Amino acid sequence: MTQHENETDVLRPLKTWSHLAAARRRPSEYEIVSVKTLYNAVNLERPLELDSNVYMNRWLRDYRIDSPLKHPDWSGFRDPDELIYRTYTTLQNGHETYVDGLLDQHDEQDHDQGLGADWIETLATLYTPMRYLLHTLQMCSAYLVVVAPSSTIDNCAALQAADQYRWVSRVAYRTAELARHRPEGGFGHAERGHWENHPAWQGARELMEKLLIAYDWGEAFVGLNFVAKPAIDEGVLRPLAGAARRHGDTLLAFLIEAQLRDSERSRRWSSALVRYALAGDPANAAVILTWIEKWTPLATAATEAYCRALPDMPVAASEADEAVKAFHSSLGLHAIRTANRASP
Amino acid sequence: MAFLNRADWYDLARATNWSPRYVSEDQLFPPEMSDRFGLSLEQWEAYDEPFKISYREYVDVQSRKDADAYSVRAALARSNFYDNADAGWQSILKLHFGALCLTEYSAVPGESKMARFGKAPGMRNMATFGALDEMRHTQIQLYFAHEFVSKSRQFDLAQKLLSTNSWAAIATRSAMDDTILGRDAATLSIMLTFALEQGFTNLQFLGLAADAARAGDFSFSNLISSVQTDEARHSQIGGATLKVLIANGKKEEAQRAVDISFWRQWRLFFTLTGPAIDYLTPLAHRDKSFKEFIQEFIVAQFERALVDLGLERPWYWDFFLKSIEFYHHSGHLEIWFVRQTVWWNPAAGVSAAERAWLEAKYPGWNAKWGRLWDVIADNVRHGRTDKLYPKTLPMLCNICGLSVGSIPHEGHSNRGYWTEFGMRRYYFCSEPCQWIFNLEPLRYQDHKSVIDRLLCGDIQPPDIEGTLRYFDLMPGERGEDAHDYAWAWPELALDPAAERPSQEAA
Repeated sequence: MTQHENETDVLRPLKTWSHLAAARRRPSEYEIVSVKTLYNAVNLERPLELDSNVYMNRWLRDYRIDSPLKHPDWSGFRDPDELIYRTYTTLQNGHETYVDGLLDQHDEQDHDQGLGADWIETLATLYTPMRYLLHTLQMCSAYLVVVAPSSTIDNCAALQAADQYRWVSRVAYRTAELARHRPEGGFGHAERGHWENHPAWQGARELMEKLLIAYDWGEAFVGLNFVAKPAIDEGVLRPLAGAARRHGDTLLAFLIEAQLRDSERSRRWSSALVRYALAGDPANAAVILTWIEKWTPLATAATEAYCRALPDMPVAASEADEAVKAFHSSLGLHAIRTANRASP
Repeated sequence: MAFLNRADWYDLARATNWSPRYVSEDQLFPPEMSDRFGLSLEQWEAYDEPFKISYREYVDVQSRKDADAYSVRAALARSNFYDNADAGWQSILKLHFGALCLTEYSAVPGESKMARFGKAPGMRNMATFGALDEMRHTQIQLYFAHEFVSKSRQFDLAQKLLSTNSWAAIATRSAMDDTILGRDAATLSIMLTFALEQGFTNLQFLGLAADAARAGDFSFSNLISSVQTDEARHSQIGGATLKVLIANGKKEEAQRAVDISFWRQWRLFFTLTGPAIDYLTPLAHRDKSFKEFIQEFIVAQFERALVDLGLERPWYWDFFLKSIEFYHHSGHLEIWFVRQTVWWNPAAGVSAAERAWLEAKYPGWNAKWGRLWDVIADNVRHGRTDKLYPKTLPMLCNICGLSVGSIPHEGHSNRGYWTEFGMRRYYFCSEPCQWIFNLEPLRYQDHKSVIDRLLCGDIQPPDIEGTLRYFDLMPGERGEDAHDYAWAWPELALDPAAERPSQEAA
């Protein structure tokens, strides 16, 4: 007794979600659980089911939908690592076990007690205040989740925010350990003062304060993942690891190497997203380059100020600059912009 | 081994507020995004999340939780539980996954808004995990639901529902957007984590888990219990917000946020959970009635949480208590009648034995809803098919998007609530929904209910078939009576205590 007993167009069960069925291949677990889960990316005029002019609807129109970064279908983006929640926690649980091992092993060897007084001072000014900087990266990554136009982008950004908190936590852990082992260093008390006043941090602070209010999603993404994070990787973390090795702080060097593994993952998905954006619309090359050019001076000033304060790392800033440029070159943005300008 | 305790370093990881110099505090934390209560960064530094967890603990605990849930599913995958389950239980799975998988995802940007714009570092950190939790809830539930896509096209709605314009999708999006992403971080921490998660998720995730275990659906029971363990942690974000607000003289505003969200969630949850627990769950597997679950999880627990914080019960509490007796009975009958508009097959749940259970749990049920079901059963028995389907949709509320229902046979107690604003009249299901609108009419002004869309000509043709197509619900997805009306023939009715063969398995 149904009203459609004679209907011929009754939809039949499929082997996967209807939106994946057209691909005619077995979907991965990643595709099944990650693609097209952000429902408010669907209605462009009224992302939220409220008055069209309510504050957050205007915000999403201004900063997501009207972003100069354009693609006809952002939901087509795929994380090259195909990470889902389940695989992320498994992966990072393993990495955290490794970090636990480092901390335990070095503690047993009275590592902190063997560090020189000069290096302790360097750690107090140039390492432990870093939790503030890493927290700004955490906040900026979280912002991407608020405004990015598809769930596959959101998920990468949400995991990145968690990665950043991971290192905020480990810096806090080391701060407490150093405070216990080297009470003369002032650890655990002076970090905010250094972050707000020490010349080494003011460039990074200016970069991140300003980037935190770059609310266009595309600009936030490019500014964070192509300018700020690579600059901090190459111009803060890597030089600090180099200085640490020169001062017998193998623990810090190992910790930073572990931290940079998270950054490598960030670069993989970020590069994939840029390639996806360029494939969707080559005009994005000019947009992305404009943002890179806009934010690079602040990032360069930040790494120069930091590296100047680091002992025994005279060419760190220029090496960092080269490394970031090499990362940008890998995207081929200039060639695409030129080709796009030349095309009719 | 000489690891520090979490307490030795945790406070440092949440001492991350600083005084911005290169931008203003209001640029960094726009009040409309961060805190409409107007507290300073310093005032927010008193924020103390009661449930603390480190990143190291988080990935350890969560990876083990997932390993447990996925391995139970894998172990039971070949048990054919679904094929042999009662059609009512199959409908619960369709209803649950359709209503919740992507709704969970609305909290991913929601939690992230707290992680970015919250003025308290502890809130930002816990919400960073909260966003991951909600990603988990979306993904694990989608994965479990996907197992069933080849069984029924209706399971496709687990993925698709919230990108449609069905009444259920609009009502869900409206409730979530109004209380989560459409609010500033401080308000949403109350509306999402305190009013919704602490208030209601126990009901769906623990109440239904108990029924699922009794029904033998251990995979589902285990899944939703596992989800709830995350909720129990991150739902405490909002309680800590309320303490800060009350300590800074914002009790009245905080109370209003609780009252708005509690009502919006209640309208949604009785629609979702009430029929599932009192009608769709096979009688033999029912643990408690919906009303008993509400009394345990909401009236007792939530009331205690409010009192502990120094807040009052919502102003409409007496009406809320009364509505526990009737909202979902009327709602269930209505959904059964418009069953083509939903993606599961509603079980009427009114066989003789089930009616006896309903009468025992809700004295007077027969005199109110039973009499209406008598008429429907009579129409079934006499083959009056045209009377078993609606000619149009019921009146829907301009706030919650759900029907304006009441108690039948009580002098037709239904009364209208409306507000004139701008160029039109807005209709509401109840005084609390009207109150929510009147607080901030501009927030809802140009939003149209499904009925508005019918009247404005957005839905063409403006009939049931046109509406179903507007809902993006095609034959094969639309609901039908779960038991092919067997309940309407008392003399033929199967023993409702026994498992009934499902239509799909047959």
